[in-house]
Amino acid sequence: MNKHEVVFCIVNSGYAEAVMDSAREAGATGGTVLHASGTANPQAERFFGLSIEPSKDMVMILVDTTIKEKVLHNLYNDVGLQTAGQGIAFTLPVNDVVGLTPAPAKPKEEPKEKPAEESKQDE
Amino acid sequence: MATEKNKTKSNTKTSTTKSKVAKKAQNVAPHKLVMLVTVVPRSKAEFYLDLLQSYEVNLQMEVSAFGTARKSFGYLESALEKQALFSIIREDNVPKALATLEEKFESIRGGKGVAFTVPFTSIVGVATYQFLSNKV
Repeated sequence: MNKHEVVFCIVNSGYAEAVMDSAREAGATGGTVLHASGTANPQAERFFGLSIEPSKDMVMILVDTTIKEKVLHNLYNDVGLQTAGQGIAFTLPVNDVVGLTPAPAKPKEEPKEKPAEESKQDE
Repeated sequence: MATEKNKTKSNTKTSTTKSKVAKKAQNVAPHKLVMLVTVVPRSKAEFYLDLLQSYEVNLQMEVSAFGTARKSFGYLESALEKQALFSIIREDNVPKALATLEEKFESIRGGKGVAFTVPFTSIVGVATYQFLSNKV
């Protein structure tokens, strides 16, 4: 089974930072932003009463398969179609990866101090 | 007489096995294609394009891109400028190409990048396939 997948998230121009914030919250380390332009059907736009901003940001994020679901969920909630970012996100399988920097290790939690009552009993 | 008969028998046997092998070779599935995505610093993009071309890559696209490291980390704006290279490459050439890329990412100063492959599921047109796979 593949260890990585690539998440593509297409949002309105200017929302790439919001996408990355959302993805980082789910454990993604970094991404690449490409500028693109959307080509929505003008008739469909009129029919659904939507105004579609043609200038888009396409964010490409390489993620571990284990956090893919969480990243997609975060993107749906934070920059999905119901938000101002009007984003869509999808993933593609990845076969081989080189050059990926491992995520920094989380600092270990220090053991909590004993509660005051226990320390009194010890005395 | 008997030895001659044996000889002719063995000759016919070898010819049939040869034809079988030839038939099998015709039936072998063609090599699959993959999209190799390489994200590198903009200043080094030309170098990596030339490098990948030596792995029988006939079609490459390059797109201007930006890294997403936070500006508060003290990166220069130019350090965030990237180029995304999309190369269509035959699957059997991928291990060699990725090994070379990895070596270059580590050895070239300011040339660090990331590369990954995405498999193609289908393609239409024999000529298109031949062009992309560099095989006639």
